[in-house]
Amino acid sequence: MATAVASPLVTAPRPLPRRPRVLFTGAAFGAAASALLVLTTLAVYLQLRADALASGATHLADDFLLPLTPGGMGMVTLSMSLVSVSWAVWALRRDDRPHAYLALGLTLLLGVAFVNSTVYLYQQLSLPLTGSATGGLLYIVTGSHLVMVVVGLVFIMVMGFQSLGGQLTGRDAEGMSAAALYWYVTVAVYTAIYYGIYITK
Amino acid sequence: MTVTEDAPAAAPASSELTAPAPAAPGLALILGSGDHKVVGRLWILAAFVHLALAGAAAIWVAVLRVDAQQLASDTPDFFAQAFTFRSIAGAFLFLLPLTVGVATVVIPLQVGAATIAFPRAAAAAAWTYLLGGGLVVSAYAIDGGALGDDTDGVRLFTLAFLLVLVALVVAWICIGTTVIALRPPGMSLRRVPLFAWSSLVAATVWVLNLSVLSGVVLIAYIDLRYGGPSGFIGGGAASLYTRISWMFGQPAVYAFAIPVLGFIASVVPVFSGTRHVQHRLAMVLIGAYGALAVGAWAMPAFGSDATPWLYEAPWVAASFAIVVPFLGLLGLWALTARQGTPKLASPLLYAAVSGVMLLVGLLAGALQAIEPITTLVDGDGASLYGTTVTTSVASYVVLAAVIAGLGGLVYWAPKVIGRSVTETGARLVALLLLAGTVLWSFPDLISGLLGQPAVPGTVTTDNVDAIKALNTVSVIGGIVLALAAVAFLALFVAALRSRDEPGDDPWSGHTLEWATSSPPPVGNFPCLPVIESEAPLYDARHQLEEATA
Repeated sequence: MATAVASPLVTAPRPLPRRPRVLFTGAAFGAAASALLVLTTLAVYLQLRADALASGATHLADDFLLPLTPGGMGMVTLSMSLVSVSWAVWALRRDDRPHAYLALGLTLLLGVAFVNSTVYLYQQLSLPLTGSATGGLLYIVTGSHLVMVVVGLVFIMVMGFQSLGGQLTGRDAEGMSAAALYWYVTVAVYTAIYYGIYITK
Repeated sequence: MTVTEDAPAAAPASSELTAPAPAAPGLALILGSGDHKVVGRLWILAAFVHLALAGAAAIWVAVLRVDAQQLASDTPDFFAQAFTFRSIAGAFLFLLPLTVGVATVVIPLQVGAATIAFPRAAAAAAWTYLLGGGLVVSAYAIDGGALGDDTDGVRLFTLAFLLVLVALVVAWICIGTTVIALRPPGMSLRRVPLFAWSSLVAATVWVLNLSVLSGVVLIAYIDLRYGGPSGFIGGGAASLYTRISWMFGQPAVYAFAIPVLGFIASVVPVFSGTRHVQHRLAMVLIGAYGALAVGAWAMPAFGSDATPWLYEAPWVAASFAIVVPFLGLLGLWALTARQGTPKLASPLLYAAVSGVMLLVGLLAGALQAIEPITTLVDGDGASLYGTTVTTSVASYVVLAAVIAGLGGLVYWAPKVIGRSVTETGARLVALLLLAGTVLWSFPDLISGLLGQPAVPGTVTTDNVDAIKALNTVSVIGGIVLALAAVAFLALFVAALRSRDEPGDDPWSGHTLEWATSSPPPVGNFPCLPVIESEAPLYDARHQLEEATA
C-alpha cells in the first residue's frame, strides 16, 4: 500500500465558509417591524393626548397623576441591560464563556425586573382601561412594548442555550449579536415611550 | 506527522450546508414542506381562491353603483361589506399573497440560494395566511367584516386581518433576508438581479407599512373588544374601514407596484437580447420609488383633524416626485430595447401593459394632487380627493401590479409549475387585461372629475346620466377582467396537463433561475456558474459564442 506524506496544504480541509448573517438580517427586519407597531400606538396616544389637552380637558382621568418613578426605574433597568447584553456578545466573540454566561444571566435578570416593575405599575395605577381613550392607549402602548421585551428575553434565552451547547462561540456568535440587536431596538423604543408618556405626561 | 492516502473530503459548500432535506411524498409534501417552491405555490393557489371571492364582490358593487340614486334609496344588505371586502380581499388576500408567492418561488433561485431564509417561518407564514384569510371570509359571512353589523363578526374580522398582516410581514422578512444574506460568492448586492432587488425594496417598504397598519388594527381590536360597537378610542366599528383604507390611497398604494418595476426590468433585457442599460442606476431608481411609496404618514388620523396631510407640501411633493423615478426607468428600458432587438413575446407584452397602466395611475395621482383642479359640477367644485379619481388611481396601480404578477407567472411558469403556458393564449389574456383595466379604471377617472364620490350610494345632483353611462362601462370592464382571470387559470390548467417539457432555459434568460432544471430540484442548484456581473448566464453564453468563433 502506497503511503505518502501529505503536505498540510493539500490535506488540510477547506475552512468552513463564513456563516451567512441570516439570523442577524432577519432580526433587524423583525426588530423594525416590532418597533414600528409599538411606535404607531405611541403616536396615536400622543395625538389623542394633544387633542384632549388642547380642548382643556384632562386626558387620562380627573385628578390622576401618572407616577414617574416606575417608568424611570424601567429606563434605568433597561439601560443597564444594554451594557450587560453588549458584554455577553463581547465575551462570546472571544470565547470567554464564564463571562458570557454571567452577562447573559444579568441581562435576563434585568429584563425580568423590568417586566416585574411594569406589572407593579399596572397594579398601582388604578386607571380603568375603558375610562378614556388615552387611558386605554396607555395600556396598549406599554403592553405591546412589554410583549416586545418578553420576545427579546426569549430570543436571548434561546441564544444563551445555544451558546451553552457550544454553537455560538467565537466568530459564529451571530445569533447572540442578532438577539442583542433586537434588545437594543427594544430599549430604544422604551426610551421613546419613557419620554412621550412618563416625562412629558 | 500525519500519513494519509487520500485527502479528506473538503468542507461542503455553503449551499449544501443550507439545502433542505428531500421532501416527503404525498400530502406531507405540502403540509410539512419548507421548500420555497412548495410554499410559494401554496401562496399563489390560495391567492387565486381569494381572487374569485374579491372579484365577485367587486363586480356586484360595480353593478349596483351604476344607478347611484336607486342605490341610495334602497341599499341592499351586505352592500357595505361587499364594498370593503372587494378592496381588502383584493389587496391583502389576493394581490400581496400573489406577489409574495411569486417572489418566494423565484427569489432564492434568482440569487442562487439553495433555499429561502427561515424556511419554516416562510411555511408558517403561508399557513397563517390561509387560516387568517379563511377567518376573514368567515367573518364577512356572519355579517362582520369592516362596516359589518354583527359586533362579534367585526371583532373576528379584526383579529383575522391582524393574523393576515403578521403572515405577510413574516413572508416579506424571509424574502428580504434571502436577498441580503443568502447570495452566493460573486453576487454582490450591486449584482443582484433587478427583480430580486425590487423584492428587497418591496420587503422593506411592506415591513414598514404593514407594521404600522398592524398597530392601527391592534388599537381597533382593543377599541371594539372593550369599548363595544362604538368603541372608546377610535370610533369603533364605523371607522374600522377608514383605519385600513389609507393603504389604497396615495402614496401607500404605490407600494403594491414596486415588484412591477423589477418584473419589467427582468424581461426587457431578456427579450431584447442585451444587458440592462445602467443596472446600478436602475437599482437607485427602484429604491427611490420604494422610498416614496412609504405611505404610513398619510393615514387618517385618530384626532380631530382626520387628514392634516391632505394637499400639504409633503403629500403633493410625494405625489409628483414618484413619477420621476418611474420615468427614469422607462427611459432606461427604452434604451435597453434600442440597444438590442426586441422580440414581443408574451412576458414582454405583460410588462408593457403593466408599465403603461402604472404610468397612467401615477399621472392620475399627480393630477389629483393639484388642489386647484376641482370637480366639474355646478357651483363650487370640490377637491378630487375622495371622488372616484382616488378609486381610479388605486385601480390603475393595483391592476398594473396584478398584470405584472400574472406576467411573472407566465415568464417563470417553467420554474413555478414545471411547464410553459402557450404563447397565443398568454398574449390573448394580456390584451384582455389591458382592455379590462382601461374599461374598469378610466371611466372612474372621468366620473370623478364629474363629481362622483368614491363611496357609492351618495346621490350626485349633477351629471347623473353621464356618470351612469360611465359606471356601465366600468361594469363591462369588470366582466372583461373576470374573463381574463378565467382564461388565465384555464391556460395554467392546460399547461399543467400538457406533457411538453419547457426545458431549463426556454427564454434564454440572463439570471441564475435559468441555470437549473424546470422545475428546480430540492436544493435548487447542483452547481452554480461563475458570477461576474448581474447577468451571469448572458456572460456565459457570450463567452461560449466568442470561444466558438
